[in-house]
Amino acid sequence: MSLKGKRHWNGACKLPLPSCTGRRLGPIMCVLSRRTVLTLLMKLEATNRPHESVGRLDRERICDTMASIVRLVVQTAPEGLTTLPARSEVGVAHSAGESTVRKTVLYGLGVVGILCLLLGLWWLLGYFTEEGYGPSFVLSIGIFLVVFAAISLRWMHETAAALLGVVAIWLVHYVGGAFFPALHMLDFETSMLFVDWDVIFLILGMMIFMAMFSETGIFNWMAFRVFRLARGNAWLLGMFLVLLSGLVSAFLNNVTAILLFVPLSIEIAQTVGIHPFAYVIPEVLAANIGGAATIIGDPPSTVVGSHLGLSFVEYMVNMAPIAILCMVPLLVVTTLLYRREFAGARERLSPALVARLEADAHVTDRTLLVRTSVIGLGTLGLFLAGDVFGMPPSVIALTGAVILIAWVQPDMQRMLREVDWTTLFFFIGIFIVVGGLEDSGVISWIAGIIGDLAGDSLTLGTILMLWIPGLASGIVDNIPFTVATLPIADYLTATIPGAENGILYWALILGADLGGNATYLGSAPNIVAVGLLAQAGYRPSFGRFMRDGATVTVVTLVLATLWLLVRY
Amino acid sequence: MGRILCATRGGEASYHTQDAAIALAKEQGDELIFLYVADSSFLNQTAAPLVVDIESRLVKMGEFLLLMAQERAAAQGVSAQTIVREGKLRAELVGAARELKVDLIVLGRPVDRHEQAIFDEMALRAFATSLQAVTGAEVRIL
Repeated sequence: MSLKGKRHWNGACKLPLPSCTGRRLGPIMCVLSRRTVLTLLMKLEATNRPHESVGRLDRERICDTMASIVRLVVQTAPEGLTTLPARSEVGVAHSAGESTVRKTVLYGLGVVGILCLLLGLWWLLGYFTEEGYGPSFVLSIGIFLVVFAAISLRWMHETAAALLGVVAIWLVHYVGGAFFPALHMLDFETSMLFVDWDVIFLILGMMIFMAMFSETGIFNWMAFRVFRLARGNAWLLGMFLVLLSGLVSAFLNNVTAILLFVPLSIEIAQTVGIHPFAYVIPEVLAANIGGAATIIGDPPSTVVGSHLGLSFVEYMVNMAPIAILCMVPLLVVTTLLYRREFAGARERLSPALVARLEADAHVTDRTLLVRTSVIGLGTLGLFLAGDVFGMPPSVIALTGAVILIAWVQPDMQRMLREVDWTTLFFFIGIFIVVGGLEDSGVISWIAGIIGDLAGDSLTLGTILMLWIPGLASGIVDNIPFTVATLPIADYLTATIPGAENGILYWALILGADLGGNATYLGSAPNIVAVGLLAQAGYRPSFGRFMRDGATVTVVTLVLATLWLLVRY
Repeated sequence: MGRILCATRGGEASYHTQDAAIALAKEQGDELIFLYVADSSFLNQTAAPLVVDIESRLVKMGEFLLLMAQERAAAQGVSAQTIVREGKLRAELVGAARELKVDLIVLGRPVDRHEQAIFDEMALRAFATSLQAVTGAEVRIL
């Protein structure tokens, strides 16, 4: 039986619309506001029921009237005037009811905001000029803040924002500086000196490893083994997955761990019949904690570790114990927060779903696995013995990656495509933008303020260096924040007595890594995991993620504070 | 016999739509096809190293989620087909509807409190209206 011509079924909203040329409705839908429809509806019905109040006009009727209006306009509107916008996807579609008044107010607020920003910058310019700082001082702050806001508020791709900041610095330097010498900021050659190439090459080397490892299918196999090992115990399975995520994050990278495990964990959660949040959110938190354990686990760890010239072992000896310690409260909090979900797990599992999980849980390329494992273990050995040869981690990672490429002989074009160049350019951009702050004296100025605040107290300095990044990382991107805070840690280490043991750097790493757990904007693994959850129809709200994230963040930061004060 | 295309993401919020589509297929004796669209564009904002082949992982996850939908249908005596496509929801939905020559497209109505905030009803209806205009198939929001 044909489905066409059927009328309302089970209260469903039906939109009888004649077939017409596509891509014609969007702007009309955007232009018609809720208010317009309401007014039209009132006029239409006024003759029949003049006594009826507007408040009684329900949403359904407004929608139906709107559909009728759209139908009418589509039938009469000329082709080309009514093209459907690309963003008209469900969930991101322009709201047909979005009023022009609201838009005007928003634009107005935007203009006022920009004017306030410019006035603020003008005032700052005057203030700092009086204090003896040049205009480049204020401009470097302005550029950094705009880049920082663009990254943290997701105005554009992080790499685009960082590179935009670099270009702004160079334009001010070369073009502005040609007319006003006071606008000289960073030239190209000086900019390159601020880039930590050790970080760039370490990330590059690890990316090659990660790309090859992920192709072996070993992680699917591991997750399925864990599933089998738990023998249907949902809580035990959750604990295993959390630990596995933390472990893989430490030795590969936390974003990679999330990309590898979250889709699988969603499937596993569905199979055992519990809400995927119960596995995925603790896994993300574990990935951020695990990432703090090694110099390659999380970008803030890499940045600080590389800045200090630490070997893999030096870093791990200092950070792995506290990372392991922080996993304990995570497991406890997870158990408490999800006790109902774990208790309500399905006892009889669907054989079809289990079979499906098993079908994907095999090693796809044994030869590649053997070769990657051999070279991976060799590289790990070099990381551990790096001190003997004085090799920086970047050289070790790149050595391992190049030997692996020579042995596996992958398609080099494909291999180079798999390297995520956006990450590398993002770091280069951030180093230069922060270099602008350093060069213009902004960092020294902020460091002086924090130094005055901390005085000679190492305890207060440690608490500030842990908790400020810890709280800020939940709201803003922790990578630019860490890069910008690093010179402040340098200054404080040089000025506060007793800080020579590096405690302030460890505090910064822990603050940035653990603080990133507080909200889903705090770090890249969180954003990626939320996106993956949304793809499975389980998007956590900001507050929902924060319930788990902020709890774990506070507990782990308190633990880290105690540990730092006792250990150092 | 007609052909119903039910776009679904899986997840609890989709169960109501899936069940309604299954009931409709059973009632009308129509063929039921579940569609999942794997869209990895959410990764376009981050500079994190994305070296894992996430598209193929999303496709596998989609296949798994549709297997669950298929099981729901089977439990109610309906044999459902599944399709996973990569790309943007609208384009893939239109493409699938045209290729399969479906008579009815079933879209989900957000039931979760938070989801409602994202899937504004007016926007959903606008989407349904445009979909109907482009594909020529009837569109229902269940």
